[in-house]
Amino acid sequence: MDYVSPFDERRRTPEPLAPRPDELRGARVALLDINKRCGNQFLDRVEALLGDHGAHTFRLVKEIFSKPAGPEIIRRIADRGDLAVEGLAD
Amino acid sequence: MSDEVVTAAPEFELESVAGGAMRLSDLRSDGPVLVLFVAEECPTSALTLRRLGRLVPSLAAAGVTVAAVFEDPLEVAARTARRAGFAATLLAEPPPYDVSRAYELSSVPTTVLVGRDGNLIGRVVGWDAGALEELIEEACGAPVAVTQESPMRKPGCAAKSTYDAQTLRLLDAGSGQDELEEMFERGWTDGLPVIPPTRERVEAMLGGRDPAASLGEVPPGMGEATLERVAACAVLAGCRPDYFPVVLAAAEAALEPAFNLGGQAVTTQPVGQLVIVNGPVRDTIGLNGAMGALGPGWRANMTIGRAVRLLVSLTGGGFPGRLDRAALGQPGKVGVCVAEDEERSPWEPLHVERGFDREQSVVTLVACDAPLSISDHRSRSPEELAAVLGWAAAGAWSTNWWPLGTRSVFVICPEHAELFRKHRWDKRRLREAMFTAVRRPAGELRWGETTPHVERARDEEPVTKWTSPDDIVLIVAGGEAGRFSAVFGPCLGMNDEIISREVRWTT
Repeated sequence: MDYVSPFDERRRTPEPLAPRPDELRGARVALLDINKRCGNQFLDRVEALLGDHGAHTFRLVKEIFSKPAGPEIIRRIADRGDLAVEGLAD
Repeated sequence: MSDEVVTAAPEFELESVAGGAMRLSDLRSDGPVLVLFVAEECPTSALTLRRLGRLVPSLAAAGVTVAAVFEDPLEVAARTARRAGFAATLLAEPPPYDVSRAYELSSVPTTVLVGRDGNLIGRVVGWDAGALEELIEEACGAPVAVTQESPMRKPGCAAKSTYDAQTLRLLDAGSGQDELEEMFERGWTDGLPVIPPTRERVEAMLGGRDPAASLGEVPPGMGEATLERVAACAVLAGCRPDYFPVVLAAAEAALEPAFNLGGQAVTTQPVGQLVIVNGPVRDTIGLNGAMGALGPGWRANMTIGRAVRLLVSLTGGGFPGRLDRAALGQPGKVGVCVAEDEERSPWEPLHVERGFDREQSVVTLVACDAPLSISDHRSRSPEELAAVLGWAAAGAWSTNWWPLGTRSVFVICPEHAELFRKHRWDKRRLREAMFTAVRRPAGELRWGETTPHVERARDEEPVTKWTSPDDIVLIVAGGEAGRFSAVFGPCLGMNDEIISREVRWTT
């Protein structure tokens, strides 16, 4: 039987993962707060742990948690960071 | 491998799952091509796809392109390959299977090696691990291990190209496959039975519209909402073709970026999309805004709301438990569509409030949680009833979440509306009375989950449930007797807007 699919069957090419770093010492790590309550507490802890490993951190905050990060945030992460950690929360 | 004389491989051009048509000459532009002729029903085809699928990366590294030609429709090819873990070029061959005939197939699977120069180098019929290893070595110029798991050899099934047209029709009709069960098998459902979207039904739904025209991408998975796919969702949901203009208007509204469907579709909240319909189209297609308006019983109400939800969960990939992460969900996520009872309303209808003419047919979408019924058979003054209605929403989101930070949609039943009519209260006055009535001192709200506003406020400072009277949305619907109104639960944190779109009868 010839049916019309409701699915978009086009194959999506997955984006390759960026190379994993061998060590954190000296790495510049972006900490992205999605702007949900308690996210800052999680990132505070991650920031302290990264500091213990010799990484340099900087913080960014999304405008609203329920929408994708804007191009400006992505650009700042790409320009300034080697790695990024996103803090989901509730 | 056979000892056949080297001859030119017949050229072909077939539809690709990746979109568009693909030729053999395109496939062999970078090197030799391994073409697997397969069919969904054939177990040996599945085995071959699964086993050779593991080798696709090694073959690609050796400069060999792998393509599977299915004697099946595109969506069947995509589904079968996905299940088999076969990630390579997927092509679909329609009846009467001219390509299979050109390659003189007797059975599937048949694996054919075509050189970069376009010559046939060899073929293996069925699953034959040894012969396939030889064929692949010839393709790669170096050995690539083919699994030695049992079975080492397995015959395939007759190629569909070997059947005459009458036999093919018989096979199609007598396959024993239950069409409704097949829809579940394909995943084309919300858990309820659906109407199979045959090409004839989808064409009837489209009513001459361009099937390839697109409304845009549907979050969260960003599947493209071609009119054909929207029509397929409408058929699956059980819509009649005359409902389709309403479904299209709702789909357009849902895809408006300011609606933030992406956020709604993936949240842990139980968010559905409430579809409110105003204007003459309500009568034209039999939408109910009277007795039982929020419940079952009316095909247009049930299926239009469901079509919108199927578009989100199937075309958009926002299926519960997958990209849709709703912790509990709610029955309204199957779909909820209501007509406003403009004729019994003392007020201007929702679409007129939103800038449309009364004679325009308009669909309005609001992100909502489930409705809560509000019984009041005793209030005799509009002030009293306004307070009862407003206080019903005091626990919306959470007992102490004040102000709510978003809107509440109230469905006012005709008997409640009549009291306001009698006292000449317009919508503005009712909103302000509800807004003013529902307030509590911050000190009483400072436990459990509360808002930053309450945390900052002094104990005695009154906090309202809404930020503004404009956060109270009012429509009229329901049975002529029985004083039951309702308020829909909220959707929070989406920065979403209510979106209205006019219903167009042609596109």
